Amino acid sequence: MSIAKEDGSLSLVLIGGSSGSFAIFEEMIRLVKKPLSFALIFVLHRGKSSTTVLPELFKNKTNVAMSEPYHLDPIEANCIYFAYPDYHLLIGPDRRFYYDCTHKDFFSRPSIDATFISAAVSGIHVKAAMLFSGSSADGASGMKALAEKGFPTYVQNPAEAESPRMPEQALSIYSKHQVMIDGNPFSIINNILQ
Amino acid sequence: MVLIEYPQLEVLIARIREISGFDFSGYARPSLLRRASRYLTTHKMEFPELLLHIEQGGSVVYGLIQELTVNYSEMFRDADFFMKVSTEVFTYLESYPTLRFWVAGCASGEEAYSLAIFLKEAGFLGRSLIYATDLSNKALTAAREGVFTLGNVRAFSESYLAAGGKHSLSDYYHVAYNKAVILPELRRNIVFSMHDLTGDGVFNEFQFVSCRNVMIYFTLELRQKVFRLLYDSLSMLGFLCLGKRETLRYSGLEENFKVIDSTLNIYQKIR
Repeated sequence: MSIAKEDGSLSLVLIGGSSGSFAIFEEMIRLVKKPLSFALIFVLHRGKSSTTVLPELFKNKTNVAMSEPYHLDPIEANCIYFAYPDYHLLIGPDRRFYYDCTHKDFFSRPSIDATFISAAVSGIHVKAAMLFSGSSADGASGMKALAEKGFPTYVQNPAEAESPRMPEQALSIYSKHQVMIDGNPFSIINNILQ
Repeated sequence: MVLIEYPQLEVLIARIREISGFDFSGYARPSLLRRASRYLTTHKMEFPELLLHIEQGGSVVYGLIQELTVNYSEMFRDADFFMKVSTEVFTYLESYPTLRFWVAGCASGEEAYSLAIFLKEAGFLGRSLIYATDLSNKALTAAREGVFTLGNVRAFSESYLAAGGKHSLSDYYHVAYNKAVILPELRRNIVFSMHDLTGDGVFNEFQFVSCRNVMIYFTLELRQKVFRLLYDSLSMLGFLCLGKRETLRYSGLEENFKVIDSTLNIYQKIR
């Protein structure tokens, strides 16, 4: 069921992370209560042989519908989506998901940049984008593209990230991301997710 | 990272068509945009420079088209898929006196060679013919050569074993000049040939068509047309294999297929 706003607009909340982010994602999903006025999209680096079905794993943590979408599925508000292993998940300007299995970015497929950059140019409103712990430079270009479009971007405090490289890299190529520095990123996240 | 916007992409599509005749209008925009951005980034170019650059025509435009259309592939991509094919699907196909397979959009031949290896292990490569087609002549040339880097082959070996391969992948290639060269006996039953899924028609009838992760690069409209071509190319009770994140949904042909495996996206033509 879609609860897109009356003017038919859709907004997205984008979350990216790699090593050291999984526990944060899990906690975030616990915070999410329906109905969500936006589509919540997670891109977590996963190995190609990862067979864990994330919606299955998290089903007891939230009452919001979750899926690993199929190619061309419409993007709906009030849903949580996860990027599927070994594919890049792209956001189409026609509000559908598109898959791509071309080159990896920073040895990763899915890559955070692929999803975030496609969202930045899609014309769809991005309510917030967040980047968490990880040991590669993936996500930095995507975050910069989103910030330059005027969308709110948040990075985990590198000092608190299990693997600081990912948030550090995002800040090094674009210093104006908001850093979640109050020691409890969940209060910020919670405000965004309301 | 050099970004381009959708209106710029449309300008590029129109210019490529004017200069070369190659028409990208049926290609899914999000992935095309990603490839075009990558082209700009790797060639250290901004969009206006690209437009000037392709005015030179000839090999410059050809190179760009190659980069925008090239498909990436691996041997035994999705081990669970190959395991299912070599067990359930092969069991069904075993009863046919001759078999025709079509790998549509074969890139550098990885999927076709994977299929040939499992057909050999199942004991019916000799009565099988694999047609492996692609739009790109460059990809087909590489496919015919069957030469892969040792690094890639190491990854392929893992997938081969995970898929239930009975021997060692190294039984199927020899190493020369630090590269792995697929044995000629595997190539004997594969016909590599140029075919444009978006424009060319039916050219044979097949018991098995694999078109995995190819149609994700086409628009919804073009995808429906290609689905029709694949459907028309299948014999009754023939198998159609799609990539893991593709579905028959939005194809207009859902009613004509039986689902053999909904996770691995294997279907059988039933009407």
